[in-house]
Parts: sequence; C-alpha cells; structure tokens
Amino acid sequence: MNRAHLFRPAICAALCALMFAGPAAGQSPLGRVAVGQPFPELRLARLADGQPASLADFRGRRVLLLVFASW
Amino acid sequence: MPVWHDVTRDLVAEGKLQLVGIIEEQHPDRCRLFMQWKQMDWPILVDPLNLLEVSVVPLALLIDEHGVVREVLRDPRSAVEKLTAQLDDPPPTATQPATTLHEASATLTRVSDALLLNQKPRFDDAIRLLDEALHKNGDEGLLHFARGVVLRMRYDSPKRQEGDFAAAVSGWQRALDLNPNQYVWRRRIQQYGPRLGKPYPFYDWVDQARRDVVARGQTPVALGVEPTGAELAGPVKEIAPAATQPTEPDPEGRISRDTTPLASAEITVVPPRVRPGQAARVHIVLRPNPRSGGHWNNEGEPLVVWINPPARWIMSQRRLSVPIPPAPISDEGRQVEFELRAPPDAPPGNVRLSGYALYGVCKADSGTCLYRRTDLVAEVKVAPAR
Repeated sequence: MNRAHLFRPAICAALCALMFAGPAAGQSPLGRVAVGQPFPELRLARLADGQPASLADFRGRRVLLLVFASW
Repeated sequence: MPVWHDVTRDLVAEGKLQLVGIIEEQHPDRCRLFMQWKQMDWPILVDPLNLLEVSVVPLALLIDEHGVVREVLRDPRSAVEKLTAQLDDPPPTATQPATTLHEASATLTRVSDALLLNQKPRFDDAIRLLDEALHKNGDEGLLHFARGVVLRMRYDSPKRQEGDFAAAVSGWQRALDLNPNQYVWRRRIQQYGPRLGKPYPFYDWVDQARRDVVARGQTPVALGVEPTGAELAGPVKEIAPAATQPTEPDPEGRISRDTTPLASAEITVVPPRVRPGQAARVHIVLRPNPRSGGHWNNEGEPLVVWINPPARWIMSQRRLSVPIPPAPISDEGRQVEFELRAPPDAPPGNVRLSGYALYGVCKADSGTCLYRRTDLVAEVKVAPAR
C-alpha cells in the first residue's frame, strides 16, 4: 500500500493537535515558517541537479509549497 | 502528495499556480524515484538538515506572488478555491525579508552550504561548524539533529569513518530528548529503529515503484543508498523468539580469530538507549579491511553472525547470515540487523551484548583464503522506567 500520497493519519493527528493546541515549549510546528510573513530565505539544492535554488526563484508566481518526505 | 498534484493539475497547466516541493529526508534522491513513479515533475528542493525547522510533514503552504505565506492548507479537495482566490495585498511589513537569524539557524545555513551546495560535500567543515556551535550551546536540538544527519551522510559516502552511524544515532537521540515533539527528528530514528516503535514501513514502496516504472518502459531512477532492513520492515506488536533455535556454529570458539584483521565489524544500536520493556534494533556491518588487503571469499560459506543476548532479553533469532554474491571475491559491506527487547523489569545501566561473525576472507597479496571469526561486543543503555 502506498501511503505517501495521503496525509498519514498519525502525522496529521499530531500536526493538527500541535496546531490547535499551540506550540510546545515555545516551538512552532511550522518552524521558521509563519503565516503572514515572507517565506524564509533558504539556500537549498535542487533535487534534479544539485544546483542552488530558493523559493525566491518563484517570486511573482502563486506557489503551492509541499513540504514532505517520500516515507 | 499525488493528491495535491491531481487536484492542481489544471491550475498548473493554465499557468495559475506553481507547485514546489521541499524534501525533509535523509536520502532526498529517493524522492526522485517517487516523483518518477507518480509521474510528478515539479521542482523539488532538498532540506535533509531541516533548515526549515518544521517539526511535522507533510505541510501544504499557499505562498503568494510576493513570497508571503498566506495559509496552511489542510484538505486538498477543498483547497482549489483558496489557491486561486483574489488575495488582498499583504501589508508592506510582511514583504520585508527577515534579516536576522538566531545563532543555531545561522550555523545550519553554513553547514548546508558546506554540504549541499558543493560538488564534493565538505563533511569535516560541516562537523567542525556544528561542534563549535554545540560547544557554545550544547542544548540546541537543531544542532544535534543536524550533526546526526551529517554523520549519516558521511557514513553513506566513501569518506565513511568508523562510528559515524552510531554517532549519528546518538545525535538524533539527543535532539529528540531535547524536543520530543519534533516528529521529523523522531522519524529519522524510527527509520533505522525497531519494528515495535515503527508507525509503518518507510520505504516499502520502492520495489513497487521500480516495477511500475519498468512496466511503463522506463528505467527507474538509481538510488544512491538502497533502503535495507529497518527501512523496509513493517511494524510488529511483539518480538517472538523462534520456536526452535538453530545450532550455534562455533560454541567452543575453535575457529581462529581474525587478528590481522582482514575484515572488521561496526555495530550500531538504534535507539542507543531503551527503557524496560522496549526494543532496540542492532545493525552490524562487516567490511573487508582495505589496509590489510582483505576481500570476501565468495566460494565458501555465507557470512554467519551468532548473537548471545543479555539474560532474559528476547530476540527473534540468534543466528543470522548474509547470502554470498556470484563473483568469486568482493569488497562490499555485509549487513545484518536484528532486534532485542529488554525485560519489563530491566534495571537501569549498561547491558552487554556479545556474539561473533564467521566468514571467508582472502588476502590480496598472497591469494590465501581463510575462514575466520571476529568477536562482537556492543552495549545497550537501559534508562529507568518512566
């Protein structure tokens, strides 16, 4: 069964609980991401070719950003 | 993620939306196979060090044309309207990028540059940066987690040093001790940990993905590091000892010890510390020793590992073996994994796990082939019961 294309219930439950209960010990589950604020300026590597890239490369376009893992 | 891909396909085709992924994974290249399998081709950025500092995945974020995060989306099927809705302009203050990072985040950025933005990862520089930062602030989970990621990366590379994997696991455990709500960190330990603590098999999709890609007439993306053992195993509710245990192969220790050594063993216990009643998964990797010119002799018996668990600890099987490849000699790492569970009343302290490996090795200089034994010893820490 492939679960990677669904929000896994356990993770989603954890996420929703954290979001609605508020962050523990002052730490947000969203980390450096904050709604209403610019997306953090991170220099990351592109999976396709290892070249440096950032979300700023898509400025001017509306973006759906999916943060995930293949497990 | 394929659900999001499907519901936004038309918007992307019409140029109204850009999909982008960020991968929070130790081996991001596995996502290339996943994307190929699911026929998704949007840009992916890799973040194995968790620079984003998110503690959960998956996350779906709507980011507007100014680069401002507008919403965390939860339900793919009801999100399409939000993705295309007219948005009020963000307040001017929201479009100003943050200019300061706290110290640990700034360190991670430099570590990431040393590792990921170089053709040849500078592992030593990355570890030095983390050690310097940890010297100043030893209670920063971000740094302990990242140190574990770097060490596991080096373990998976030709630059591997003995103890890298065990040190990586220790870093992840320390990070999780500091912040037990960090699910991305927790998953990194579970990836290699015992089945009793696993929520699901992590990479069981890989074989199916390859079969489906081949059936489409394509060549599956090659993986840098194949998932093995714990990464493929599904969860279990109990570790049951085998009904009949096999015969111990060298109970009197008569096989000559590999004193050269022509091969050496590395043992990693995941997690490094258990509580009474909990399980650990033990990874044993044996490799020919290049300094002494050893090679596996594949024309004899398979490598066999025998384990003597601590008294009253449960393990499923005490004898494990590794099949031999067809080539007459080879140099690959040979890995066995097994699990053992502490008794429910185990006292706190260190418990000794012993055993041995039997294998055939050849000396490169003389061509002499030998059957040898290496004794194995590891310690499992038992923490007090909660």
